[in-house]
Amino acid sequence: MIELRQVSKRFGQRLAVNELSLRVPAGEVFGLLGHNGAGKSTAIGMMLGQVWPTAGEVFIGGAEVGRERRRALSKVGAIFETPAFYDYLSGWDNLRIFTQYSAPTPAARLREVVDWVGLTGRETSPVRTYSHGMRARLALAQALLPGPELLILDEPGEGLDPEGIAEMRHTILRLHRELGLTILLSSHLLTEVEQLCTRIAVLQEGRKIFEGPLAEAKSNGNWLRVEVGDFPAAVTLLTQAGLITGARDGRWLALATGVGVDRVVRCLVEHGAAVFAVSREQPTLEEFYLSLVRKPEPPAAAT
Amino acid sequence: MFLLQLRNELVKLFGKKRTYIGFAMFLLAQNLIAVVFRFTHATRPLQRLLESGGHVVADYLSALTIASIMLMPLAAFLLPLYVSLIGGDLVAKEAEDGTLRMILCRPIARSRLLLVKWLAGCIFAVALSLALGLFGLLFARLYFPWGGLFIWMPEQEILSLFPAGTGLERYAVAHVMLITEACSIMGLAFMFSCFNVKPAAATILGLSLVFVSFILEHIPYFKDYENWFFTYHLHLWQLMFAERIPWWRVGQSLCLLVGFNVTFLTVGLTVFQMRDIKS
Repeated sequence: MIELRQVSKRFGQRLAVNELSLRVPAGEVFGLLGHNGAGKSTAIGMMLGQVWPTAGEVFIGGAEVGRERRRALSKVGAIFETPAFYDYLSGWDNLRIFTQYSAPTPAARLREVVDWVGLTGRETSPVRTYSHGMRARLALAQALLPGPELLILDEPGEGLDPEGIAEMRHTILRLHRELGLTILLSSHLLTEVEQLCTRIAVLQEGRKIFEGPLAEAKSNGNWLRVEVGDFPAAVTLLTQAGLITGARDGRWLALATGVGVDRVVRCLVEHGAAVFAVSREQPTLEEFYLSLVRKPEPPAAAT
Repeated sequence: MFLLQLRNELVKLFGKKRTYIGFAMFLLAQNLIAVVFRFTHATRPLQRLLESGGHVVADYLSALTIASIMLMPLAAFLLPLYVSLIGGDLVAKEAEDGTLRMILCRPIARSRLLLVKWLAGCIFAVALSLALGLFGLLFARLYFPWGGLFIWMPEQEILSLFPAGTGLERYAVAHVMLITEACSIMGLAFMFSCFNVKPAAATILGLSLVFVSFILEHIPYFKDYENWFFTYHLHLWQLMFAERIPWWRVGQSLCLLVGFNVTFLTVGLTVFQMRDIKS
């Protein structure tokens, strides 16, 4: 559905996106992760034809966005972190205005979408009277008009309270399940991404450092959680033995290639270290993400 | 689709309160000027001028004459201000508010979006120019009788007297020509609005160029080069009050104004086409 081929974007001296290649297959809920300034919004801007790539090509539904904008974006809806509307106009007028930049849309379709997002009864009120949650629903309604196959959500949970975030999560799941939409979700809320996405990509400083199924990401870590009496001494010992390549957070060890848990435990016990717990828990997405974007501390500095 | 989008652009434009500032100020200013002319001695110089020419003052101290006198300062100062305000807002305000980003995730071409916005700006300029004429005549008529048109524009070397019918025609044609001034200044501010600037900056840049051109045009040294100044061609409406309208000059200025407007729109389109739209 979305394909980025060796896409780069430079703003003056700063390289915001660096040779990014990405594929979002149809039917996926795809998570785009990264710190602020990692290049997520720039990448989304290029997908929507708002930011011109310095190099590379962006395809949506097989059409190159720069050259065939109309075909590429005709079945795309988007929501941004702070959806902007004409506050002095009603929600209905806003929907009509935005959707008619895509195609003429009958009132019945507008009403259907207003119903779907739960804004019925308030659609004729000026948007300035809407709560934050209502604005989020209106943003969703405009994205669903006239009838997208791909939904691009750029930080949609930003500024929402926990209840709003939960509502957003359920809505995204509904969109995927009931309407069969392909969804690209860019978010800082890793727990949300973990619950929603089937596939993720992680950007750092404009480069992609991971792309794959969420399940693969979560089983990707070669980290071992240990609870020992003296963690720094254990790190020194295991490093000298060549069993680990890094450590972090006073409890996590990065196992060297081919090293199993048994060898680590044996080494520690043989050298008299007090071992209280050892587990190779599946890391959460947050742990996986942090392990990717943080470089492992050198063993000597680990505490 | 194009007409639907144009209608939506007009809904957005005329849904904003600030769009009506110009109309409200015209109402206020013209009413005030008409009252001043009616209840003070402000018409004395006019009367003396008419008397010195051997004309009957009562025939020409009319609603048409007062409306035309009111038109001069308002067309020179207030009209450029309000059309520039709207022209400067059309793109830059949407970019500032974030709605431009919402629009540009739709499959509309940037050139088409800009054309729709420019047309909406022109429609506003037409409406404001016509409102200026209608309000002027209406308020002048409240305080002065119907009669002939006396007009004196020393700068254009125009001193004319028309019977009521012809005077009304000239007044109407002058407003049609005033539309070219309003659209051109709107187009100038619109061009700046396409750059990555704040709406106020686009308005100020547009107005600044108009005023700089106006000042240079009035420096005696540049008298021989007045043809080169943008504002020189904006005064077309004044020529409609000449006894004999210099149509060659009108045609020349109209052609140049078309050129100016095409240039403004092309520059705006090019800049807007190349811009990255970010949050």
